[in-house]
Amino acid sequence: MRLPSSMPAEQALGQRRIGRWQVVGLACLLAALLLPFADLAISTPSPRAVFAALGRGFLEPDFRAVSQLGQALVLTVAIAFAGVAIGALVGLVLALFWSSALIRTVSLCLRGVHELIWALFIMTITGPSAPTAVLALALAYSGIFAKVFAEILEEADPRPRLALPGEGLSLSGLIYAKLVPSLPAFWTYFAYRIECGIRSSAVLGFVGLPTLGFELDTLFKQGQYGGAAAVLILTYLLVITLPLWLRRPALPLYVLAAIAYVWALPRLETSGLGLWTLISRDIVPAPLRNGAWADPAGWEAFANWLWRLISQQMVPGIVATLILGLFAILLTGLIAILAFPLIVRALTGLGGSVFGHVVLVILRSTPEYMLVFIGVQALGPSMLPAILALALHNGAIIAHLIGRQASQLVPTLRIDRPHGVNLYAYELVPRLSGAFFAYLLYRGEIILRESMILGILGIATLGFFIDSAIAELRLDRAVILIIGMILTTAIVDQASRRIRRMIGAQAVSATACR
Amino acid sequence: MTLQRREFLVGTAALLATPAIAQARPTLAFSAIPDEDATKLMERFTKVAKYLEGQLGVSVQFVPVKSYPAAVTAFRNNQVQLAWFGGLSGVQARIALPGSVAIAQGDEDKEFMSYFIAHQSTGLTESKDFPMGAKGRSFTFGAKTSTSGRLMPEFEIRRNTKMAPEAFFSRVGFSGDHTKTVELVASGAFEIGAVNFTSYDDMVKSGKVDPKVARLVWRTPTYPDYNFTVRGDADQRFGAGFTEKLKAAILGMNDPAILAAFPRKKFIPATNADYAPIEDVAKQLNLLD
Amino acid sequence: MTEPLIRFDGETLGYGAVAVLADFRLAIAPGERVALLGRSGAGKSTLLNAIRARLLVTGRTTALVPQDHALVPILSTYHNIYMGRLDRHSLAHNLITLFRPFPRDRQEIGALARDLGILELLGKPVDELSGGQRQRSAVGRALYAGGEVLLADEPVSALDEHQAPAVLERLLSAFPTSIVALHDVGLAASHCTRMIGLKDGQLLFDVPAGQQDPDAIAKLYAR
Repeated sequence: MRLPSSMPAEQALGQRRIGRWQVVGLACLLAALLLPFADLAISTPSPRAVFAALGRGFLEPDFRAVSQLGQALVLTVAIAFAGVAIGALVGLVLALFWSSALIRTVSLCLRGVHELIWALFIMTITGPSAPTAVLALALAYSGIFAKVFAEILEEADPRPRLALPGEGLSLSGLIYAKLVPSLPAFWTYFAYRIECGIRSSAVLGFVGLPTLGFELDTLFKQGQYGGAAAVLILTYLLVITLPLWLRRPALPLYVLAAIAYVWALPRLETSGLGLWTLISRDIVPAPLRNGAWADPAGWEAFANWLWRLISQQMVPGIVATLILGLFAILLTGLIAILAFPLIVRALTGLGGSVFGHVVLVILRSTPEYMLVFIGVQALGPSMLPAILALALHNGAIIAHLIGRQASQLVPTLRIDRPHGVNLYAYELVPRLSGAFFAYLLYRGEIILRESMILGILGIATLGFFIDSAIAELRLDRAVILIIGMILTTAIVDQASRRIRRMIGAQAVSATACR
Repeated sequence: MTLQRREFLVGTAALLATPAIAQARPTLAFSAIPDEDATKLMERFTKVAKYLEGQLGVSVQFVPVKSYPAAVTAFRNNQVQLAWFGGLSGVQARIALPGSVAIAQGDEDKEFMSYFIAHQSTGLTESKDFPMGAKGRSFTFGAKTSTSGRLMPEFEIRRNTKMAPEAFFSRVGFSGDHTKTVELVASGAFEIGAVNFTSYDDMVKSGKVDPKVARLVWRTPTYPDYNFTVRGDADQRFGAGFTEKLKAAILGMNDPAILAAFPRKKFIPATNADYAPIEDVAKQLNLLD
Repeated sequence: MTEPLIRFDGETLGYGAVAVLADFRLAIAPGERVALLGRSGAGKSTLLNAIRARLLVTGRTTALVPQDHALVPILSTYHNIYMGRLDRHSLAHNLITLFRPFPRDRQEIGALARDLGILELLGKPVDELSGGQRQRSAVGRALYAGGEVLLADEPVSALDEHQAPAVLERLLSAFPTSIVALHDVGLAASHCTRMIGLKDGQLLFDVPAGQQDPDAIAKLYAR
């Protein structure tokens, strides 16, 4: 009876489904239309000179700086362990109360704000110290952990809990029957997040916290490319050797040692005054301060203030973010699809694939913020270095994932399979396109979030205006702009989910940081 | 290099340790806006710290920070009690912490000015009038809240061109500090730049920049700039009469080596009221609420 | 006559919109030991679930032995048994127990485990146990929980002919009222007071134990 009536709906659904390549075509068309609005200028006259100087630096890295880099290196790792561990713990508690809409909103706000922005904000109270970095990392990561842990809890077997007296509705029941069985999955995710945390921690140095990024920033600005190369090499070594020393049984030890180390550093004067001023005055919109909120004129001034802020900063910032993100995503896809054969032995041979692995590892391990920083030094602060750096980093990540799948796929193909370009074009690309789109969409969300942040480096995305507001000590404006950032994050998440459903790509979780 | 890195760490440690030490023996922590590269800042302020320690009988720690707002917030949060601010950051600090006072400025600071400098390829040369020929070229300010690198140059650009900087120039950047501004113009990364005149003159004198490549094209009218500002509760913390003693110590600075690091000829008294023009301009440019 | 513990008056029982037992009538008095008989899919589990839901609403305490055991794989046998009384201890007591059980609880659970023949398995994670050992752990959890009514779904199906009667008797004797789904008619007749036969969502028979009709039994399991 019901079947026939459901048929047309099914067909309509089928017709609404848009092909993957149509989405790509639309995105390219949009990019072409937006091209005049994208700032792609090279503003330095001799970008080659900077790259050459950096290249020479790599040939003769100045490891004399390493003795001083030691402290920055240790702090980078310690801050990562402490921040990620605290974030995981808070995230765990938030995940336990995931059914509450309030908790879900709080965790959206926590993860919607990048750790760099948290750091800029917290520093206005606490100054540029290691605990500030730990706190910034912990805040951003607690929101991420809350979401992922809640998803893991949701997928846990419901039966043990239902079998308990009173259906296990108490918190104890939740902990014994749901949380404990999920611990192995939590653990895996935590260990993987540590790696992201080390990269984040290094990047926090760019805003003045005492990690590797601080050294890189200083050395670059003084033109000491040998030292800068040494910092980059140290960062690679740190990330590449992670699997060797990041052993799970030793993790709790590392975390405790890290927290103890940061704790043992000379501590901060936590005058409640700074925090109180922040809440009672700094983040109150300027037109409403000093009792003006009681006056209708104050609210009118507030409306004007808000409108100017939204129309002159928030909207242009978000538009620039989206344009930058779109170009970066398209180029990421192009790089990934062209670069993945680099690590497929059947296509490039043994030597070629080893070389490919080295290139991809370097691009993957450099935090994208560092790549953009180098790009801006060489090319000037336009969208160009940001697009290039984002695309190289994310393209390398996808190329690595797809290339690995391709390598596993080749031996399973028929014996008389084609070779060379034909193998690539007729077998590998069509078979891997599903996974490719899933990865690209997932990385796309990350690219858009990073694009917002890159404003701190002088590119006119949302982060630029937030950085300016904080520089002008106008935290009230910063808060409004950060709300815009959170909303953009939420909308991007939604849009990505829609597109994923539309083109039938599966969800990818936890393939890379953020 | 070695010294500088270690000094940073010591300084950071000092920033954090100050309150604990303060219980036992008062330590005067002081900071400065990072308007030039780190080497220069360390050279300048380690000398000052040693000098003040000798004069005041308290231990003095220099706390380096990486941004202008960080200097202001460290001051407000009592992580430092004394700071060498620019015109605008000083105004920001004294608004953020009522009761704090400007006590001294350099002799040059009562009539400070900015230089507009241009890369030789622009063909611009020094003139008495605003360089209208810079229209459509790329331009960089210094730090976002620098008085001589942002506030006054923007004010002059708007006054002379009747246009916003973004409209008058093809591209507007923020280099972060004066050293960087000069380097960017010298390399041609930006065709025009606005810079603190003492920083530029100093770089020319020490041979760090070729004045033919990054050449001076215009001097702005003068305005008040840098100042030493101290917290209002300094006497409470360090003993009665401390602020006066501090002021006398700064004004009495006559070692050419210390003065050259700023670079200033000598220090003279200053008051909060001296900086009212800066506050007005900042409000006009909507950099201050 | 005592008030029945539970009563269905021509109700439709099932999962969501899918009716398994239609127009169902049944009353169970306190003190009864009811055996539910029937082929798989006859509606035994549905009935047990419906009874549990009804008892929860009326505030009766129940202990459950589900067919799939519903144990927590990475926890030890001890902790799985302990979970029977999670609701009766404070959160702090439960959290401490995760790391270090209290001696009093340990004594009680030890005695219980000895009865069930799993004493030496208490420290092992349950995912390392055999099917029969897991079943006894689930029985242990129900025994430790205690309560007014036992609801068990094939609680001894994985045990051999020597263990099954002993474990079943130990289980049933611990509760005033029991409702147990069983596939072994002999066990049902020897340990229960009442036998209910379910077939295709219908009540086929409802007789005191020992008075079952062999023809009815044959019909119950016939295709």
